[in-house]
Amino acid sequence: MKEVHNLQLTLVPASLSAFYPLIQQGLWLNVQTGCSITSLLTDQLGITLSYLNERITTLFLDGKAIDNPENAYLQEGSTLALSSAMPGLVGTTMRRGGHLAAMRDAITYQSQQPATIGNGRIRIKLFNMIMAEMGAALLHYGIWLPRQKLNIPFACQNDSFWHTIKAATLGGQPVSITELQNHLQATDDTQEFFLRVIFAE
Amino acid sequence: MDKILRINMGAAGGPQQSIEKAGEFAALGGRATTSTIVGKEVPPDCHPLGAENKLVFAPGMLSGSAAAISGRISVGCKSPLTGGIKESNAGGQAAQVLARLGYAAIIIEGQPQGDDLYKIHINKDQVTISVDNSLKLLDNYPLIDKLKQEYGDKVAYISIGSAGERMFAAASIACTDPELRPTRHCGRGGVGAVMGSKRIKAIILDDQGCENRQPKDADKFKAANRAFVEGIRKHPVAGEGLPAYGTNVLTNVLNEAGGYPTRNFKTGQFEDATSISGETQAALEIERGGSATHGCHRGCVIQCSGIYHDKQGKYLTKQPEYETVWSHGGHCGISDLDAIATLDYWDDNIGLDTIEMGVAVGVAMEGGLLEFGDSEGAIRLVRDEVGKGTPLGRILGNGAAFTGKAFAVERVPVVKNQALPAYDPRTVQGIGVTYATSTQGADHTAGYAVATNILKVGGDVDPLKPEGQIELSRNLQIATTAIDSTGLCLFIAFPILDQPETFQAMLDLLGSFYGIEMTGDDVVALGQKVLSLERDFNKKAGFGPEDDRLPRFFSSEPLPPHNISFQVPDEELDQLYNWD
Repeated sequence: MKEVHNLQLTLVPASLSAFYPLIQQGLWLNVQTGCSITSLLTDQLGITLSYLNERITTLFLDGKAIDNPENAYLQEGSTLALSSAMPGLVGTTMRRGGHLAAMRDAITYQSQQPATIGNGRIRIKLFNMIMAEMGAALLHYGIWLPRQKLNIPFACQNDSFWHTIKAATLGGQPVSITELQNHLQATDDTQEFFLRVIFAE
Repeated sequence: MDKILRINMGAAGGPQQSIEKAGEFAALGGRATTSTIVGKEVPPDCHPLGAENKLVFAPGMLSGSAAAISGRISVGCKSPLTGGIKESNAGGQAAQVLARLGYAAIIIEGQPQGDDLYKIHINKDQVTISVDNSLKLLDNYPLIDKLKQEYGDKVAYISIGSAGERMFAAASIACTDPELRPTRHCGRGGVGAVMGSKRIKAIILDDQGCENRQPKDADKFKAANRAFVEGIRKHPVAGEGLPAYGTNVLTNVLNEAGGYPTRNFKTGQFEDATSISGETQAALEIERGGSATHGCHRGCVIQCSGIYHDKQGKYLTKQPEYETVWSHGGHCGISDLDAIATLDYWDDNIGLDTIEMGVAVGVAMEGGLLEFGDSEGAIRLVRDEVGKGTPLGRILGNGAAFTGKAFAVERVPVVKNQALPAYDPRTVQGIGVTYATSTQGADHTAGYAVATNILKVGGDVDPLKPEGQIELSRNLQIATTAIDSTGLCLFIAFPILDQPETFQAMLDLLGSFYGIEMTGDDVVALGQKVLSLERDFNKKAGFGPEDDRLPRFFSSEPLPPHNISFQVPDEELDQLYNWD
C-alpha cells in the first residue's frame, strides 16, 4: 500500500502566488461526490452563494460549459474549472446563462440526474481572479498530490519559497525546514502527499 | 476633423497633396470612413499592390477628444491577402494625434515611379513629403529610433518594417505607443504591403500647438465620459481581468473548453497551456520588473497591455496578446513564453501580423519544415528567413494559405485566405459563422460581443436555441462594425453588454460630442450600411457564396476532446446578409 505523507505548512499570504501554476493545473480534493457544483462550493468548501453567483461566472465540468451549477453533478474523478468573467466574444460566450450561450451549444453541459452520493477525489482548477481569491481556501481545505508536484511551489523563484514557511508539520509533528527538506529529498517522486496550507501574517 | 488629406504618390513630378473638406466624413470615423472611401474610390477588381488601390487612414469619431479609450485608428484598402475590402485597426497614439490635427482621413493613392522611399511629416501648418532612402529596409524599432533623432518624442509614428517594403501579404502597419515603441499594429490583411506599394516608409504626426477636439455640448459630454469611465472601471472584465492578466487570460479558459486550436487545429487542448497562460505570463512580467498593466494609448482606462522583460530584466517586447501567444504557442506546440515573446518582438520589428505569421509557421510545421514545438526553429524562420526576405521567408511572409500551397498542406486554417484566430469554430460554432461570412476573412473581432441584447438587432434571439447561430453572428457583425467606426476600443463591449447605463453613456458621448441624439437604432443602421457596402465591394471583386465557407476539414474532422465538427449548413451561412 502506498504511504501517504501528511504535510501542513503555515505560510505568509504573499506566498500563495507560488501555488498559482499548481492551481491552474488543478488541485485534487477529497470531497463528497454526487452533489451539485453549488452544493460542493457552498456546503463543503464554504464559498458564499453570492460569490458563486456574482463572481464565478464561467464554469466547466469535464470541459463542458455550465449554465446552471445547481443542475450539474460531480462524480469521482470529475474536473471542475472556475473562472471569472472573460473578455472576447468567446469569453463572453462561455459565461453561464449568457445571451450568447447558443454559440457554444456543442459543448454545453446537459443536465443529468444526480449521481449517487459517495466520497471521492475531484480536481478543481481555478483561473484568473478566482485563483487569487479562492486558492487559499482550497489549499486550507487540503489537497492530494504526488511528491513531484511539490516541486512547483518549493522551487518557485529560486527557492525563495522556503523563506516564507513560518511553520511545518509532518504527520502531525513539527519539523524544521532542514528536516522537511531532508524528508522531501528522501521521498520518491511518486509518493503521495496530503498537503494543507494555512496562510497567516 | 473637417478636412481630408489626399496624397497622390503617382503624380507627374512627384507626390502631390491636396486638402478637401471632410463633408459627409466629418461626423463619421474609423471603419465607416475607410470602407466608404475604399468602396467609392477603389475599383474592386484592381490589383491590391497597384496604383489603383488606395490606402485610407481614419481616426475614430471620438478620437482626439477627451473621451476615454477613443484611440483606435483604422486603415482601409483592398487587401493583398484576401483580395477583398479590408479594414484593420490598432491602438497607439496615432488616432488621437491625427484627429487633433483636424483630419478625418488621409487618402494615399497612386504609385511613384522608381525606387525612392518616402516619409510624410504632418504638423498643424503643413504636410511635407520627402524622399529618405536612408530608411530603406530598416525594421520598425531601429526605424523609429532613427526618426526620433529627427522628429523627437512629442509625435506619433506610423511605419512599416521590411515586410511592408517587400510587400508581403502578412505585412502590418505599426503605430507607436505612448513610449514611442512600434508595438500597436494594424495587423490583418496585409495593409503594410499596400503602404509599401505606395513607397511610404513612415508617417510622422505632430500635433504640437493643437487642442483637443471640443464637444458640441461640453457639460453633457463631461457627464457622459464620467459615467462611461465609471462603468468600465467597475466591470469585472474591463476593470479587473484585463488589467491584471491582459487578453491572454483566455488561454486557460479556451483550453478547458476544448476550443484551443493546438498543433494546427488537430486537437482542442494543449497539454502545456498553463505554462503560457495569462496568469503565468503576468506573474513572470511582474517578477522580472516589467508590468502586467499598461495602456496602449493615453486616455486608456482599461490598460490591458503590459511590458515583457527578458531573463536579464531588459525590455523585450510589449505583453504578447492572447492571439499571439496562441499562434506562436499552442498552434505550433511551443510552450516557452520567452520564445513566444521573442517571436512577438520580431513580428513587431519586421512588421508582420502575429496571427498570420504564427499560423503560417504552424502550417509549415505541418508540412514538415520543422517539428511542432521547435521554438528555436520558429524564431529562425521569422527572424532570419522572413526578416531577411529569403525565398523561404517570402513564402512564409505571404501568409498561411500561400505557405500551405508551397508545402502541399491540406489542413490550412484560412477563410478568404486570411488565417483563423485562436478559437476553434468546431467548439464555438457561432464564431465559425462569423469567420466564414465576414467581409474581412477569418476575423475574431468581426463579430464581437457587442450589446446585441440591448440593440436587439433584428429582434430577440433565444440564447439557448442552437439555430440562433446565424442570427447571433449577423447581429454581432452589425454591432461590431458600428463600434469599429467610433474609434472606441472593442473592449468597451463587455461593460456595455452588461450595464445598460454604460451603453447609454456611450451613446451620450457620441450624441453630446456631435450635438445630436443617438439611439441604438442609429448604431444598427450605421453597422448595416457599412457592412452592405463592404459586401458589395467583395461581390464586385469576385467573391461569391463559395467564399463564405470554412475549410472543409472543420466539417470532416471531429475535434478532440469533444469530438465535434462544424455543423452549420452552407444554406444557413448564405442567409447571413439577409438585409441586402
